[in-house]
Amino acid sequence: MNRPWIETNTLHHSAFSDIGALVKAKEKKGLTISLCLPTLNEEKTIAKEIVILKSELVSRHPLIDEIVVVDSGSEDNTLGEAAAYGARTYVADDILPDLERFSGKGENLWKALYVTEGDILVYLDADIKNIHPRFVYGLVGPLITTETIKFSKAFYDRPIALDEKKVVASGGGRVTELVVRPLFSLFFPELAQLLQPLSGEYAGYRSVFEKIPFPIGYGIETGMILDIYRKWGLGVMAQVDLDKRVHRNQDTKALGRMAFTVMKTFFDRIEKLGRITLTRRLFEEMIQFVLVNNEHVPDIHTMVLKERPPMVEIAAYQRKFSQQK
Amino acid sequence: MMPHSNQIPLFVETIKSIKETIITNIVLTGQVPAPTFEEAQRAEMLLERFSTAGIECAADGMGNPVGIIKGKDPGKPPLFVVAHLDTVVNRDVDHNYTVKKNTIIGPGIMDNSVGIGVLASLPDIVRVLDLSFASDIVLAGVVRSIGKGNLEGIRFLLDHWRTPIRGAVCIEGHKLGRISYFSEGLKRCEIECGVTPGAGLKHKSPPNAILVLNEVINQILELRLPQRPLTRVVIGRIRGGTKHGTAALEARLSLEIQSDHADMVTAVCTDIQDIVAGLAHEYHVHLRMKNISEQLPSRLRFSHPLVKATVEVMKRLKLEPVALPSESELSAFLSRNIPAVTLGITYGEESFAPELSKIRIEPMFRGIAQIVGVMLAIDDGVCDEPALD
Repeated sequence: MNRPWIETNTLHHSAFSDIGALVKAKEKKGLTISLCLPTLNEEKTIAKEIVILKSELVSRHPLIDEIVVVDSGSEDNTLGEAAAYGARTYVADDILPDLERFSGKGENLWKALYVTEGDILVYLDADIKNIHPRFVYGLVGPLITTETIKFSKAFYDRPIALDEKKVVASGGGRVTELVVRPLFSLFFPELAQLLQPLSGEYAGYRSVFEKIPFPIGYGIETGMILDIYRKWGLGVMAQVDLDKRVHRNQDTKALGRMAFTVMKTFFDRIEKLGRITLTRRLFEEMIQFVLVNNEHVPDIHTMVLKERPPMVEIAAYQRKFSQQK
Repeated sequence: MMPHSNQIPLFVETIKSIKETIITNIVLTGQVPAPTFEEAQRAEMLLERFSTAGIECAADGMGNPVGIIKGKDPGKPPLFVVAHLDTVVNRDVDHNYTVKKNTIIGPGIMDNSVGIGVLASLPDIVRVLDLSFASDIVLAGVVRSIGKGNLEGIRFLLDHWRTPIRGAVCIEGHKLGRISYFSEGLKRCEIECGVTPGAGLKHKSPPNAILVLNEVINQILELRLPQRPLTRVVIGRIRGGTKHGTAALEARLSLEIQSDHADMVTAVCTDIQDIVAGLAHEYHVHLRMKNISEQLPSRLRFSHPLVKATVEVMKRLKLEPVALPSESELSAFLSRNIPAVTLGITYGEESFAPELSKIRIEPMFRGIAQIVGVMLAIDDGVCDEPALD
């Protein structure tokens, strides 16, 4: 009997801590790796991420070939801080400027495909306070050292005991546990083995990322998992325990808006897969309430689901990469 | 003139070329909390950084992480570079640092994460400068240094080191331009006052513990302290009480007696013990004085070749040397007749809110060049003359 995916494809970053060996494996396969940090007002954390990753994974061990920051229009000095430590910086709107302009994390990740060169892309959020090289080598390790894994996703410390001997990190944040896991359990129980499907840190081959659409906002992680699952199956995915991650906490209202977008992305995907039929279009307004002068006043956010097509369909991208080949 | 003095200003730009590595070491070690007696995790991180830099390393019996940059001449005794690993910052403070273009911000950054980070970077710095030393360079992050630690870590390390030691450089984050080649005699004490209101009439209106300590301070200030040998009592911290409207039932006063002469430290300590005993009797309170730590005064002459070489290095780097006494590891070396100096690395600001403490990045590279310059001077033999004052 086959062992369940969670047993075979759940790994720990320490399995890849011999960075010298990873570099050798990477060079043997002739691979290049790009690190992309999507940003929006991250001046407090961006420099530290770049400094540490550049020191350990560019200068000391040449695992990463380029570090790129794609910004959504920060009002603080995010780009200045990033450039001071040698990252290549872009404003998302300046990349492929002839296209309609969108703003969001997914947009930055999608456009990073155009400005980077690596065979493997590593996407890390830029607000990781306890950044450590393991965030990169843990994610690229399975991609470099196996032939089957094409996409790896991070999960972090939320320990629960599986049995007397085994304690693993499990469980996601509030949106994962209250929204994504129930939806996955209802429609794709296999995917419920992903412990933190919404984690913002993942890596994969360009050949995977360029062939899937990118929702521009909070739906990026959900859409990405469903699209990779649909096209290549769960077997190409791995999840990697990166121990602890310290980052900003979001308030419940912000998480509510995140949940709204995640659910819209999910329903959009399963409708396209023919798993459900919606008799009318979903609404595009998230209605929340705030207390003003003892009255509950509606606080309405319009969130239209927009997404970019697979990058491989963009003519400029085809030209750039066909010329390189 | 020292053999390497012309080279030293050129070190600055080369050291700067690996600034990411130096900042990384400062951040990765500094983000691990290390209050005195709880340094094990930071010690482990420093060993990990030594190991990553490719040098031999291990922790000694006290838990001091020690790394060795191998020298060319096995016959030469080693030189030491040390920085204290512990901080005054509590474990529950958020230790995540912020790096900006010109600054690093976070708890304990000045005292002494920057020192530990530079220590961790020395193997890479020596490599990038393409330097080789005759002596082994022993890099030690010492535990149990400050406050109640009473320099236990460095004392253990030196007491158990089996070979002679040529000389030493002690690294402190703050402040670039300081040169310490003498340490004062000092005794750190804590005076505790506890008031126990009894059921009877003795404490019908019990005294306020803070006011009792206030009276202790008043009487200390009345002591006549000599200018020569220079002697001071520094009132460092007072804590006590529970809330605004309730007289304090307990309070604690921390002070330090400093003098150029050990006998004066003892004499002033006896005076303060008498004050404490008298007031305990007068106020009917529990009042007692505890010794936290002490050190004997020790010094190098200003004309000692190590001091002269250090001043020359600093001047080559356009630094104006300012002589200050040191209370840290320096005294452990000097009291064992091992020539040593303490140097500062950069400028910064210590904040009352520890998470807002910051250092400036740019001056740090001159600070590091200065340390390397003094290491070279020791390797060239400036400490090899036998006698100390």
